Amino acid sequence: MIKSKVLIIDDEIEFASTLCQRLKLRGMAAVDVHSGAEGIACLPKMNPGIVILDLKMPDMNGVDVLEKIKEYDPSIEVIMLTGHGSSGSGVEAKEKGAFDYAMKPLDIKDLLNTIEAADNKRSKV
Amino acid sequence: MHGLWLEKFLPSPSEDQITGSGITRGYKYFSRGLSVILLVIVLVPLTLISFLAHYQYESLLQEEEMAQLLLNLEGGKSTIEAFVSELQSVVKFVARDDRYEELLEPRELEALFVRLKNEYPGFADIEIIDTDGKQRAYYGPYTLPKHNYSDQTWYKKVLTHGVHISNVFSGFRHVPHFVVAVSREHPHKKGHWVLRVTIDGKTLQKFIDTIKTNYADDMFLVDVGCVVQTQPQKYGKIGEKCILKIDEDLAAKRLGAIKKGRESISQESMGMMVVKKTFEGQEITHAVVDILNTPWKLVLVKEQYLYAETWLQFKIKLITMFLTCVIVSVFVILEISTAITNHLRESDKKRQQLYSEAEHNNKLASIGRLAAGVAHEINNPLSIINQKTGLVQDLMELTGDFEYKDAMEEAHESIQKSVNRCKTITHRLLGFARQTDVQVEEIDINAVLGEVADFLAKEAMYNQIKIGYELGENVGKIFSDRGPLQQVFLNIINNAIDAIGNNGTITLSSRQIDPNTILVEIVDDGPGMPEEVRKRIFEPFFTTKETGKGTGLGLSITYGLVKKLGGDIKVTTEIGKGTTFEVTLPVQQSN
Repeated sequence: MIKSKVLIIDDEIEFASTLCQRLKLRGMAAVDVHSGAEGIACLPKMNPGIVILDLKMPDMNGVDVLEKIKEYDPSIEVIMLTGHGSSGSGVEAKEKGAFDYAMKPLDIKDLLNTIEAADNKRSKV
Repeated sequence: MHGLWLEKFLPSPSEDQITGSGITRGYKYFSRGLSVILLVIVLVPLTLISFLAHYQYESLLQEEEMAQLLLNLEGGKSTIEAFVSELQSVVKFVARDDRYEELLEPRELEALFVRLKNEYPGFADIEIIDTDGKQRAYYGPYTLPKHNYSDQTWYKKVLTHGVHISNVFSGFRHVPHFVVAVSREHPHKKGHWVLRVTIDGKTLQKFIDTIKTNYADDMFLVDVGCVVQTQPQKYGKIGEKCILKIDEDLAAKRLGAIKKGRESISQESMGMMVVKKTFEGQEITHAVVDILNTPWKLVLVKEQYLYAETWLQFKIKLITMFLTCVIVSVFVILEISTAITNHLRESDKKRQQLYSEAEHNNKLASIGRLAAGVAHEINNPLSIINQKTGLVQDLMELTGDFEYKDAMEEAHESIQKSVNRCKTITHRLLGFARQTDVQVEEIDINAVLGEVADFLAKEAMYNQIKIGYELGENVGKIFSDRGPLQQVFLNIINNAIDAIGNNGTITLSSRQIDPNTILVEIVDDGPGMPEEVRKRIFEPFFTTKETGKGTGLGLSITYGLVKKLGGDIKVTTEIGKGTTFEVTLPVQQSN
C-alpha cells in the first residue's frame, strides 16, 4: 500500500487527469495539476511524498520545477515523464535528483513499480 | 576567365548530360575536340615550315642550277665564236686584195689549198668568184660546173657584209658542209670578187663534240630556222627541224608570253634563253644562245638537275622528319587528350559522388527531423489513448460481469496492442533523431561484435545460419559509445539474418585500415538486392518486409548512429551473391 501522496504535474490535462484517476482507483491519494507553477504552488497545501513530473511544459522546464521541488523538500521523490523517446534527458534529470524516469506512453505496471520503489525509499528514511 | 574562347570549340563533357550514356558521349566529343585543336596547333606550323623549307631549298638549288647552265652555255658560245673567228681570219687573210690574179692560176690555188688543208683538214674545196657572180677558179675533189652565184642569197650577203658564214647544207656536193666567203674589191674592175671556202660539216661536228662537257646531256647547233646543224645525240637529225621546237620558244620569247603548264621561259642577259619543258615525259631544261656573226644558235640540253641527288636526299630527309613529327605528335596528342579527359571524367565522377552523398545525408537529416517532429506530436495523444484504455481496463476489472464484457475486453486488448505498436514506432523515430551526447569509453570492437553475435546466436541457429568470424588480432581499442555501437551491429546482423532467411553464413570481420580507422565488415551470402533498393536502404520508412513486420527504421537509425559516432557506413550488394555492410569507425572521437 502506497502511503505517500502523489502529485501529477503535466500540461496534457486529459493525460494527467486519467492517470490521476487510475492511481486513485488503486487506492492512492493523487492530485493532478497542469502547469509547473501550479505544481510548485500546491506543494505546501498538499505536501506530496511523490511527484510525477512532465519534462516539457509550456510555462516551465521540468528540470527547473524539479529543482524547486527539491529546494522545498529534498525528501520528495520525483519521477520524470519524458515524451522524447530518449533516455538522455531522463538521465540528466536523474543526475539533478530525480528518483527515476518513465517514457510516454506509460506502461502502468512499470510506473506502479517505480512509485512503489520511491515510496519504499521514503519510508526507509 | 580561362578558356572562354576555347569553350566555343570544345564541347563540355558533362553539362546538360546527366544520364550515363550522355556523359560518355560528351567526354568522347570533348576528347575528340581537344585532339583536333592540339593537332591543328602542332601540325599547321609544322606543315608550313616544311613547305617553306621545301620551296626555299628548291629555289636555291634552281638558282644554282641556272647559274651552272648559263656558265656552261657561255663557255660553249665563246669557244665556238673563237673558232669561227679564227676561220674567218684565215679566209680573210688568204683573200688579200692583191691576190686575185694570183689565185686565178690553178697551180697557185692548188698550192694554197694544200697549205690550208694541212692546217685545217676540214677544208673541202676553194673557189674564186668574179664580180659578176660567175666561178672563175675552183680547186677541190668535186666536179662542179661553172656556176653563176649572182642571184644566190649568200652571194648577195657576202657582197653586203664583206664576210659570210652559211648554215650547214648538202647542196651540189651531197655532203653536209658550210661555207665561209669573203668579198674583196676587184683590182681592175668596179665591183667585188669573192673567195669562197667550203668546210666539211664534220669539222663543226668534231668541234662541238670536243667542247661538250659531261654537264650537258646534249649540245648541238641549229640555224635561224631551227634546222639542226650538228648531230644531236637525241634531239633530231642534221638538216631537219629540231624536235625541241626551239623556234616556238623563241617566238614566245619575242611576244613576251610565257606558256602555261609546266613550261617556263626565262630570259637571261646576252641573248640567252632558258626553257624548261616536259619532253617525252621527262622534264628537261634547254638553253639557247646566238653565236655571233654566224647563222647558228648553240643549244644545250640538260635532262636532269645537277643537284637531283642532293634534292632527292633533302626531300627524303624532309618527308621522313615531317612524317616522324606527325606520327609522334598524333600519338602524344591522343595520349594527352585521353589522359586529360580521363582525369576530368574522374574528378567529375568524384564531384558527382560527393554531391549525391551530401544530398543523401541532407535528405536523411531532414527526413529525420520531420519524423521526430511528427513522432513527438503523435506521442502525446498516444499517451492519452494509452491512459484512457488503461482506465477502461481498470474500470472493467472493478466492475462485475456484464453483457459483452468478453467482447469489450477483447476489443480493449486489441486497442492496447495497436497503441504499443505505435509506441514502438514513435520511440524509434524519436531515437532516430535524438540529440544525446556520445558517451565515450574505451571499447574492444571485437568484443562488442562477439556480444552482439551471441545475442542473436539463437535466432541464427533456428534459421540454420552460421556466424563466422574473421576478426583482426591487432585491431586496437577504440573510443566510442558502447550502446549505439551495439545497436548498429545488432541492426545490421538482424537485417542479414532476415535477408538470408534460411541456410546461409554471416561473416563478421574487423581490421585496422589506418592508425585512426577501423573497418568492420558484415558479409552475408543472402540473395542480395537490386540497385534501387540499395540506394534507398538508409531512408526512414523504406522497407522491403511485409507490412507490419518492419518499421523501415532499423537501418536509417543505424546510419544516424554511425554518423554520430564519426564513422561511415556503406553497402555493396550483388544479386544472388549477397550483401556487404562496411562500417568504418574512428579510433578517437574527434570531440
